[in-house]
Amino acid sequence: MNKILSSAFIAMLLCMLVTGCKKDNFEKPSSTLSGTVVYNKEAVGVRSNGVQLELWQRGFQLFTKIPVHVGQDGSFSASLFDGNYKLVRLPGNGPWINNTDSIDITVNGNTVVEVPVQPYFIIKNATAAKAGTGVTATFSIERVNASQPLESASLYLAKTNIVDAVNNLGSTTLSADAIGDITGPVTINVTIPAALTGQSFFYVRIGVKTAGVAERIYTQPIKIE
Amino acid sequence: MKRLYILSLITGSFLLLTGCMKDWLDREPRTILSDEQVWNDPKQITALLANFYDRIPAESGLTDVNNDGADGRLFQWRNMANYDEAMWSGQSNEDGRNNITSYGFGSWYLWNYTYIRDINLALENIEKYGISLPDEAKKQYSAELRFLRALNYFNLVKRMGGVPLVTKQLIYDYSGNVADLQQPRAKESEIYDFIGSEVDAIKDQLGNAGSNSRANKYTALALKSRAMLYAGSIAKYNNLMPVPITTPGGEVGIPADMANAYYQKALDASKEIINSGPYALYRNNPDPGENFYEAVTKKATNREVIFVKDFLYPTRRHWFSYDNIARGIREDNLGSSSVVPSLNLVESFEYLDGSNGALKTRTPDNTDYIYYDNPAAIFANKDARLYGTIIYPGASFKGLTVSIQAGVMVWNGGRNAYDVIEGSDLGTTYSDGRLLTASSGPHRSIMEVSNTGFYIRKFIDPNDKTSTRGIQSDIWWVWFRLGEIYLNAGEAAFELGQTGDALLYINALRERAGFGANSLTTLTIDRIRNERRVELAFEDHRLWDLKRWRIADKVWNGNASSPDAMIYALYPYRVIRPGDVNRDGKYVFVKMIAPRFRAPRFFQLGNYYTAINQAVLNNNPKIIRNPFH
Repeated sequence: MNKILSSAFIAMLLCMLVTGCKKDNFEKPSSTLSGTVVYNKEAVGVRSNGVQLELWQRGFQLFTKIPVHVGQDGSFSASLFDGNYKLVRLPGNGPWINNTDSIDITVNGNTVVEVPVQPYFIIKNATAAKAGTGVTATFSIERVNASQPLESASLYLAKTNIVDAVNNLGSTTLSADAIGDITGPVTINVTIPAALTGQSFFYVRIGVKTAGVAERIYTQPIKIE
Repeated sequence: MKRLYILSLITGSFLLLTGCMKDWLDREPRTILSDEQVWNDPKQITALLANFYDRIPAESGLTDVNNDGADGRLFQWRNMANYDEAMWSGQSNEDGRNNITSYGFGSWYLWNYTYIRDINLALENIEKYGISLPDEAKKQYSAELRFLRALNYFNLVKRMGGVPLVTKQLIYDYSGNVADLQQPRAKESEIYDFIGSEVDAIKDQLGNAGSNSRANKYTALALKSRAMLYAGSIAKYNNLMPVPITTPGGEVGIPADMANAYYQKALDASKEIINSGPYALYRNNPDPGENFYEAVTKKATNREVIFVKDFLYPTRRHWFSYDNIARGIREDNLGSSSVVPSLNLVESFEYLDGSNGALKTRTPDNTDYIYYDNPAAIFANKDARLYGTIIYPGASFKGLTVSIQAGVMVWNGGRNAYDVIEGSDLGTTYSDGRLLTASSGPHRSIMEVSNTGFYIRKFIDPNDKTSTRGIQSDIWWVWFRLGEIYLNAGEAAFELGQTGDALLYINALRERAGFGANSLTTLTIDRIRNERRVELAFEDHRLWDLKRWRIADKVWNGNASSPDAMIYALYPYRVIRPGDVNRDGKYVFVKMIAPRFRAPRFFQLGNYYTAINQAVLNNNPKIIRNPFH
């Protein structure tokens, strides 16, 4: 009796083990779409975890967006199946002018695209250096589109190179009134906060906010030693 | 032959016996009620209404109902910990509420058209089938249903902006074409206008005079008062933004020139309640703090509340007290302390002399602590609503003093500074034989202990054993009360330039809170906003108020160095400094960012209107998206 039971049990177990290894019946996506959000061939710096692009694919029962998050250096990537997609620049999402025209993308293997946008402002010639107990940044703001006024410019400090309006340990914001004439260079000083005074290096970033647009446009992080 | 005869006799008698049974195949079902039965029976209609009242959604509430899908039942007390009034200090698996890196664009979603359909269906059926129902009753039930529908459209419009305005059932004709069932979104202003006109149409038919759990004339007016105020402030403040949030079709955004008309309607509705309603501000208890607590929670002879959700039936009682009572006085062996008020809220309660409510923990030149004789002394001379809303160190509840102390500060002469010592557990004793960490904390890491140094009093049941899982609490949830109507009237009057009237309303509330008569002589919008914050804390107002004033993205700006976006705590310490009679044995307080609080509150422009689900957009191509989504 015991013997029969145990052999039946072993047979069952074997059966489960053999069938259990059956592969999933769906292939995982093997192609990658990657690219950068650019203006004038230059990557646009944004807030980490802030800006999103959307991919849509028609022709399947499930019609829902594939969100593609844009990294702070303006790059993005997504694992996809080969096929035709439409890439949408979500209105009101990034620090640029709404453009609801979608971009047709054919993904075939590893595909690289550039997503052109038109920011309201861009930051040029940004430099930052330690000055005593503070950091001084100098930069110039160039107006690309005059439809919205400038709201403010800020300097952010952080321990890691993820620096923005949300991830920072210290910041100074100059309002548009305080900046005045934006054709000349702008200088912002910020006192190094206690959390950073002992650090051998840290990162700063300059962000410029357009009135009525939630996201700021940023420079790439600058390392301060 | 004989056999055949018997057989035919049996068959024949069988036929004769059963043949007389009338309607054998056409009987009344015993388990299903027909439309005629339901819509002619006041008891059945009342039962149905009870279901509809129960399904009114609230963003926070007192029970644990969390269905934002088609059914739309929302009544989730945990959501109180998602904003700046409070944080989460309960079970650590809900600590995500302290770490909301940004509110999702789908937050506060509601699309409960099943509820609207049920009401539309009821409205049509009561007309169609309710033949033997007296006209008077029919009118009243219909008015009540229309009130619930208007209230629901208000709950939709404050979250989603203009929504499709469906006022009758939509029936599919199996033609293969659904275009006539697909309604586009109405303008945001049209939904508010609908609420206003519905209230005007039904307010005199509602009946239910004196009831506070079913809608009567003044309940409807209270809805109008609040809805019109929201519409007015959206019209005004949306257009004061650098770039107003609008859609070309007006589904979102209300033109600025409509603001005054809305404010006027809000003021008129509020005045009608205040002047001719059977309500009065609750003033039964001579102690202003206890009085304010009772104004919200006490059921007997309470003429302040206008509309509540009550939990009288034994199986309907709720666990809010079990989950949120102060740790040291909990009556169950588990639970407590889940939602704890923030120092931000505590400091928004002014001092009775009208000065800013920031607590004084350091000397003016910031060289030393201020030493208090007992833990409650720092809260002396505060707005009595602080006592009525929040349990602070040294306050009492259910006749017991809630002991709140984080640890001790021992003077270190060598270092010329204090050593901070905190217990690893609650109710611990320091080596001098006196209290180290109190039974109610605060504690930096233990769960189900306040992390901020405060506990909720509002909505916590004062009766014996109500914080146990066995007994539970029957404290009611207040949808509308007269205090809010005073604030609505004050704000609307102020926006209309009638500052004198506005002062009357605001000062009446402040006088009840322990301020002197006419404590304010000038008024600013910030003052009114602060009054709303302290008067209506935890009553599901803060989020909606910040949204309609269009300051949510400024207050909750996601910046960790912003004092409004972070949740702060206040930790009391006992001082040990032998030889210094002015300091030894006294109490000092330390303000800090609450240790369990992680990410600043971050409300983005895309949060002003909740994103509409893709499934809804797919089903109805006429529905347009909200801005930023």
